[in-house]
Amino acid sequence: MTAIRVIVNGAEVIDNVAPRTSLGDWLREGRNLTGTHLACEHGVCGACTVLVDGEPIRACLMLAAAGEGSEVRTIEGFDADPLMMALRDAFHRRHALQCGFCTSGMLITAWDLIRRGKASSAAEIRRGLAGNICRCTGYTNIVAAIAEAATAAEGVGDGE
Amino acid sequence: MANDAGGAAAGIGASLLRREDERHLLGRGSFVPDIKLPGTMEVAFVRSPHAHARIRGIAKPAGGERRVFTAADLPRLRPIRVETQAPGAKSPPWPPLATDKVRYVGEAIAACLAPTRAEAEDLAAQITVDYEPLAAVVDAPRDMQGSRHPVHEGWSDNLFSERVFAGGDIEAAARAAEITVRREYRMNRQSGAPLEGRAVLAYRDWRLDEIVIHASTQTPHTLRVAIGEILGIDLRRLRVVAPDVGGGFGPKARLYPEEIILAALALELDQPLRWVEDRTEHLLTAAHSRDHHYQVTAYASRDGRILGIDAEIVVDAGAYGLWPQGPYQEAAMAARCLPGPYAIANYRCRALTVATNKTPMGPYRGVGRPGACFAIERTIDEVARAAGRDPVEVRMLNIVRPEQMPFTSIGGMRFDNGNYPESLRLCAELLDLPGLRSRQRRGEPDGRVIGIGFAVFAEQTAHGAAEFVARGAAIVPGFESCTARILPDGSLVLMVGIQSHGQGLETALSQIAHHELGIDPARIAVRHGDTETSAFGFGTFASRSMVMSGGAVARASRALRDKLNRIGAHLLQCDVAAVRCRDGAVRGPQGSVSIAEIAKVAHLRMDGLPPGVDPLLEAVATYEPAVGTGVFSYATHGAVVAVDPETGFVELLDFAVAEDCGTMINPMLVEGQIRGGVVQGIGTALYEEIPYDEAGQPLAGTLADYLMPGAAEMPAIKIGHLHTPAAATEYGMKGMGEGGAVGPPAAIANAVRDALSALGAEVNETPITPRRVLAAIEQARFRVGGPTG
Amino acid sequence: MKAAAFDYVRPRNVAAAVDLLAADKGQAQLLAGGQSLLPLLNLRLASPARLIDISRLPELAMTDEDDATVTLGAGVTHAMIEDRRVPDPSQGLMPHVALGLAYRAVRNRGTLGGSLALADPAAEWPAVLAALEAEIGVVGPNGRRRLSGTNFATGIYATRLAEDEIVTALRIPKLSRAARWGYAKLARKAGAFADALAVAVADPRRGYGRVVLGAANGPPLVMTEAGRALAGTRRDPEQLRRAVETDLDSAADRRFDAYQRRLHRAAAMRAIVQVIQ
Repeated sequence: MTAIRVIVNGAEVIDNVAPRTSLGDWLREGRNLTGTHLACEHGVCGACTVLVDGEPIRACLMLAAAGEGSEVRTIEGFDADPLMMALRDAFHRRHALQCGFCTSGMLITAWDLIRRGKASSAAEIRRGLAGNICRCTGYTNIVAAIAEAATAAEGVGDGE
Repeated sequence: MANDAGGAAAGIGASLLRREDERHLLGRGSFVPDIKLPGTMEVAFVRSPHAHARIRGIAKPAGGERRVFTAADLPRLRPIRVETQAPGAKSPPWPPLATDKVRYVGEAIAACLAPTRAEAEDLAAQITVDYEPLAAVVDAPRDMQGSRHPVHEGWSDNLFSERVFAGGDIEAAARAAEITVRREYRMNRQSGAPLEGRAVLAYRDWRLDEIVIHASTQTPHTLRVAIGEILGIDLRRLRVVAPDVGGGFGPKARLYPEEIILAALALELDQPLRWVEDRTEHLLTAAHSRDHHYQVTAYASRDGRILGIDAEIVVDAGAYGLWPQGPYQEAAMAARCLPGPYAIANYRCRALTVATNKTPMGPYRGVGRPGACFAIERTIDEVARAAGRDPVEVRMLNIVRPEQMPFTSIGGMRFDNGNYPESLRLCAELLDLPGLRSRQRRGEPDGRVIGIGFAVFAEQTAHGAAEFVARGAAIVPGFESCTARILPDGSLVLMVGIQSHGQGLETALSQIAHHELGIDPARIAVRHGDTETSAFGFGTFASRSMVMSGGAVARASRALRDKLNRIGAHLLQCDVAAVRCRDGAVRGPQGSVSIAEIAKVAHLRMDGLPPGVDPLLEAVATYEPAVGTGVFSYATHGAVVAVDPETGFVELLDFAVAEDCGTMINPMLVEGQIRGGVVQGIGTALYEEIPYDEAGQPLAGTLADYLMPGAAEMPAIKIGHLHTPAAATEYGMKGMGEGGAVGPPAAIANAVRDALSALGAEVNETPITPRRVLAAIEQARFRVGGPTG
Repeated sequence: MKAAAFDYVRPRNVAAAVDLLAADKGQAQLLAGGQSLLPLLNLRLASPARLIDISRLPELAMTDEDDATVTLGAGVTHAMIEDRRVPDPSQGLMPHVALGLAYRAVRNRGTLGGSLALADPAAEWPAVLAALEAEIGVVGPNGRRRLSGTNFATGIYATRLAEDEIVTALRIPKLSRAARWGYAKLARKAGAFADALAVAVADPRRGYGRVVLGAANGPPLVMTEAGRALAGTRRDPEQLRRAVETDLDSAADRRFDAYQRRLHRAAAMRAIVQVIQ
């Protein structure tokens, strides 16, 4: 077992993990943060996207042990975040989710795109979502919702 | 009569925002793997690496004997067996854990238990199975009449079933033909690939003396029936719960070995057990779909009027039949849909369902229809080409016209109503067909060639008993149920037998109850997916839930409304004929009484009830549409592609859908279903495939090999609506969940064909990969003669 | 889909990592960003006894720049290159390549050194760094040495790196302002591995021309004739096209089928056209 100290959604967590445990499994099984979904476990689908030290990463492609000393933020850690609130509102009003399984990863990816100023057009948003698979919506409404939230956040951007 | 209370803001026709959204947006949904029970053991399966082999022995590792379960350890497991009345159909037994033989790569052989999934996989890796490999049956058309080692013992061939569908006089059509077009088409094998795979959590509840099974399934009630039957226990001792389900699309509407095995283990062991399918397991073992081969001959007059279609359909159905409907429905559905929405007088189709050493075939959005649509719509385009006419014109020439409705196609489909030609016209308008044609003539600056293609289809939805009886189905999902209960405070709970996994049925069903009762949707709960809370229902599949469950909600709500009116009239001291239930209250000539007040009387103050009226506000209703053969939605899909003749890459520039699904309860949800379906259809058309090699090894076990459509490659999908309410359903609704996935393969293949017309190349196989496009271009280069067949 | 068990160690510095690697010869594997290794572990296609986590060693994150070269530590991530958080020797080629490499969440962890050391034939960096004639610094029990980036990869998942060596840094010659580059990646989906990939670089001030193919059934394929033609002063598209054909003819050992050959030709010409237009 490997000892780790990680800040998870703002709170310090000290734990012992089996070295092979992925960050995704640790968050879900060890911390009961089940909003992080595992759908492919090989880095293609994006459902498990979380922030580590402020940047989106695949929780299935990082060992929990390698998270030692990092700050991890999951979908449960955004409840008071204004940009995430705007995104959630836009996803709701634009019908940008159906089954909800990709949604956590979509929201975190979208949050990062807007934060980095990479959501200025529908085409740019679509490229930015290339690593997040949604099987339900056909993407049109997701792109529209992100464009809307980006416009609200920055006063720029155009929808589809 | 429907109540007009509530207006359009939340009632029928309103794009009410979804009540399902909040929990998912907050990351607080509850999918099977999210449910935590102390002491849960994780299950990993030993699965066959061979497509076809005898099992000579299974050796468990020392110390692991009590944590490894084979068929021999679970004598309670009886084989899955599909009962079918379909003529000439064979139904082989399928042991949930393989006994003496494995018949596809991925077939379960042993269940291994450990505190974590990783440790369970460690254990599975230590089990040694002694196999005697056999030659695998992998090529359905080649091996269907027999092979050295048939898939199933005692069979002389590899046919699950063979049927001929015929009408009119095909020989006469052949003699009269001025144009004959022959083509072969292939729609390859794929996965349904919902983002959440399958998952099962099973445990014993000692207090209630039952086994509780949480499963990621579309059909909890029928799953319970099957598990009870196979394990030989009373259904009262089984509860199946489908909590949040991360997409279904058909594959989760079937019974799987893993669900039975987990339930059997829960009976044996006194601790919770969990199996969460990983992506490789999903691609290997969840129902595969499509895998159709077609040979189509079209006979037509010189101007492109189709006189007859002669066809053979071979469906590669894999090794076993999935319960309840078996492997038969793909070929039968394809054969009945092959004549399309066209007035064709003569038809003959031989439909064969073939057993191979591959993963069992199951339903996936569209069931049989995407293949049939691909075959007929590609053929129509070739007839048009042979006639020297535009494909849209030739479609208009052959399509069923509104004045012919109701029209029974030569395939036996009874189209109820609608304006099919208008959907074609509207779709061409959405894409600006004349503008595209002139752009095409001008040419593209980057050397690519653009093409436009269309596909028209009618979609049988919400079919009832008549349809399933005609199919020889084992069970007949002809109705749905709703238990509607007003609680003492006037809030309403609807308990339904369907399962919503993204469709937004929690929202849409509350709109119907709101329409009937005027109760604010915010005060309505919709409970589904749980055998404990709802009366029996069949689940969500076959584009049926909104029509059938919605109908049941309407009927149950009306029964409640009648009782509310009786109690309300009594409280208002007026005649029941003088009151109306509106805006959450029963209103009389003088004054009104709220539903909350009536509910209080019905539960807490029965002294206020009129004589002869029982307490409680609860109604159970079932619903079956007035027509059992289905109500037909229809649509035209149009695709615009740019093909790079140098690389074979196809870019989708535009896509439009012009559709009619009758009355839309919630247009926002309808459009969401259409767009999602279209992108799945685009996946079939361009990306998704599970190829097998000659040894029966599947070649797509990860999402690096199995390409799913991504945002970057998809266009924004345009939608136009027509509105022809159904006569046979509540409010004129028609089902529409699957149609989106039906048209894209055909529309896109026709667009690619259109783009490559100058080169004379056509791609008649999905997915239309760059490799296939280039091969078609090469082939066209070497072909002599004209483009007609 | 869970990894088999392994030990995990996080050395304090490169020297300690080298010692650990030497001590565990053949049993241990380096873990950098893990974006290629973790999928292999999860699928149990790789099962090392021990992982040596070098993802956060400061020595591997260093960057340096002089008049002629840029040195990037092996631990520099794709995202750092994409965002130009590290010096760019390539007049924009490397940031452009990074942007199209997998997905942002992968780019945030995946590293330059990891990509080179793994030598996935479909990966971008081996071809790009061959086109830029980068030098690869490695360290092992016998000390440091420098290898040519042009022929660093020797096959599919095979390099000149010894089993006990670590890639530490890449020394990349700067392109001049007059240099031009072209890049063509033919992939069926954004972020997916390439079906064909070509990099073309011409720096007239140095008389430098390189055309390199990736995703080429083996290590990056340096197209000698095309590179020579691109280095010249009179660059005629037809002559370049013939040079590309000649190079493809001489790559018989790659066993390209008709489709692959066609795609590689298209990718090479597209990269070349970007340079000469």
